[in-house]
Amino acid sequence: MAQTDNASRQRILARIRTALRERMVQPAPVPEKLIFPRVVDALDRFQKECAINITECVVTSDLHARAAGIKGILASLPAGDIFVQDSPELRRTATEFADGREIRWSSEGPPLESSQATITECEALVAQTGSVLVSAGCGGRGASIVAPVHIVVATIDQLVPDLDAALARVQSRGTVSANSYLCLITGSSRTADIEKILVMGAHGPRRLIIFLSQS
Amino acid sequence: MSTAAAREFLRSAAKKSADLNHRQIIRRSIDHYNAAVVRGRATFADWEAARERCHEIKQEALNNLERYLLEFEQGVKERGGQVFWAENSAEASQYITNLAVSRGVRKVVKSKSMVAEEMHLSAALEKAGIEDIDTDLGEFIVQLRKEPPYHIVTPAMHLTRKDIAILFKEKLGDVDTDEPQELVAAARRALRKAFFSAEMGISGANFLVADAGMIAITTNEGNDRLGTSLPRIHVAIAGIEKIVPRLQDLALFWPVLASAGTGQTITCYNTLIGGPRGLGEVDGPEEFHVVLLDNGRSELLADREQREVLSCIRCGACLNACPVYRTVGGHTYGTTYSGPIGSVLTPHLRGLNEFQHLSYASSLCGACTDACPVKIDLHHHLLENRREAVRHADRPLSERVGFKIWSWTMESPKRFAMAGWLARAALRVVNAAHLDGSILDPARSWAKNHAPLPAPKKSFRELWGKANGTN
Repeated sequence: MAQTDNASRQRILARIRTALRERMVQPAPVPEKLIFPRVVDALDRFQKECAINITECVVTSDLHARAAGIKGILASLPAGDIFVQDSPELRRTATEFADGREIRWSSEGPPLESSQATITECEALVAQTGSVLVSAGCGGRGASIVAPVHIVVATIDQLVPDLDAALARVQSRGTVSANSYLCLITGSSRTADIEKILVMGAHGPRRLIIFLSQS
Repeated sequence: MSTAAAREFLRSAAKKSADLNHRQIIRRSIDHYNAAVVRGRATFADWEAARERCHEIKQEALNNLERYLLEFEQGVKERGGQVFWAENSAEASQYITNLAVSRGVRKVVKSKSMVAEEMHLSAALEKAGIEDIDTDLGEFIVQLRKEPPYHIVTPAMHLTRKDIAILFKEKLGDVDTDEPQELVAAARRALRKAFFSAEMGISGANFLVADAGMIAITTNEGNDRLGTSLPRIHVAIAGIEKIVPRLQDLALFWPVLASAGTGQTITCYNTLIGGPRGLGEVDGPEEFHVVLLDNGRSELLADREQREVLSCIRCGACLNACPVYRTVGGHTYGTTYSGPIGSVLTPHLRGLNEFQHLSYASSLCGACTDACPVKIDLHHHLLENRREAVRHADRPLSERVGFKIWSWTMESPKRFAMAGWLARAALRVVNAAHLDGSILDPARSWAKNHAPLPAPKKSFRELWGKANGTN
């Protein structure tokens, strides 16, 4: 089954072609106006946006301080395993942050539903919106959605001023073609479907924590 | 001709507009939204420039629709996904149910998709014996109530937390409170089980990105992310008009959609998916199918005056802005797409004859047009639909004759003056005989809900003449 060259394809395309014999008037290109205010101080803006969208952003001086920070967070969570993206850097510091917990590495398969937290890297941080851009390469699709806590480790050179720059970066570096999946994450999972009252942790993480190393 | 749909609209509109409780719930929700939108727009340096740019990009996408759709299809195929083109709802539903049956699927988790509603996909799945669970909280709630979504973006807008508490207590059992936090937690528990046991995830797509060959899905809850990561098959359904040319365009459309849809700066999760689990990737479905639905869209594209309607991004802003929507409510429309955009679109998707009455479900105030982030001239399209209805659809004989008489009267000042005199005289007689509101009352449709009109002694022309001393 599931042949993609179905008969309807030709008919739909033919109808589109006929329909567009007379094109719409293409509006004159909008003169380059500034649509979003320019981001001046990326780090400052990023931290402010994180505060607004309820992301915990921790700026650390080096990898050891970061590992200590992660350890502190893990210590506050209920017992259980954690899921960690299998990257050389996270492997290297694992003993420092793991807090004695069992680690399920992404190379061993996707996160289990019992995971208390996931730790991953990211592709970019966006100052304009306080967002994290992850790909399938950052521990897989489930890594940033299954567990109640998602911890992201990033470095300052991953911080870009705006969405435009973030999308340009992942496209020009081949991240888009190399991954079947990308996600721009801004804050943690939420819903306002009941009387427009904001509730955190609808389906995904209740907490999103970003450790941003300045070195 | 007054169709069944039109009669039902009037019946429901009369009922809902008199339901003060309903109006209060909707007003509270939309007040909340309006306050948020002010904050959302404040994050733009120039909201008007953003709207113009969105309009321009969507026009470009539609003008080159064939090329961009083929580019999108090519991209998906290169990553190992499949693209199926469906001319109508039946064909699309058939493809999906056949796929599910042939792969032994017994449970489907669905994330919010208006196209799935348009296709009546749930009914098709149910018929094939496949359990289908809506996972967006609002959709989950209305599905438990066996109702269609009330609103494009906020499906359970018409319900209070008490309504939802009663529903959950009855259907889920493990929760007995009206605390939103607890209610959400109960839904999360129920739906987690579904996510981890379903064999197929079905999603919509907010955008089809041509140059990246990826679909883009926007949610706050993340239900789409679980539904497209855990089950072994992912089927995405989208209308053919959902194209944007470049990935870069989303740097504008994501914030615009969020701002117009909910008043957020950007929605929590903006996901891009181009194929099944790739080589060396940790997880993801084994199969990825995109169903591209036409269902009347290519015919609308051929309509030069109205094709810009296809640039709609389904943000729901025109619903919230519409005084008619706020008064009669989303269910009164009896259509998948409600509010101004639904009134414009439905006659094209489901027939002018049956749905021409929706063109009149508008005060033509233009609030929808002002609210539209892609600058669709909605209220003018409603007028155009009215014109089309008069030209091509059945109109009652009384209306056709009435307008003939009206235009004959209006063509001559004498006949106009005579008609005015007759109407005033008739009103005086009717009011004196206490027949106001009866079949004899020329102002009876007014008198239905208002105090009787006092008949003026003099006509406007007489008053004008007197004031200007020319009579």
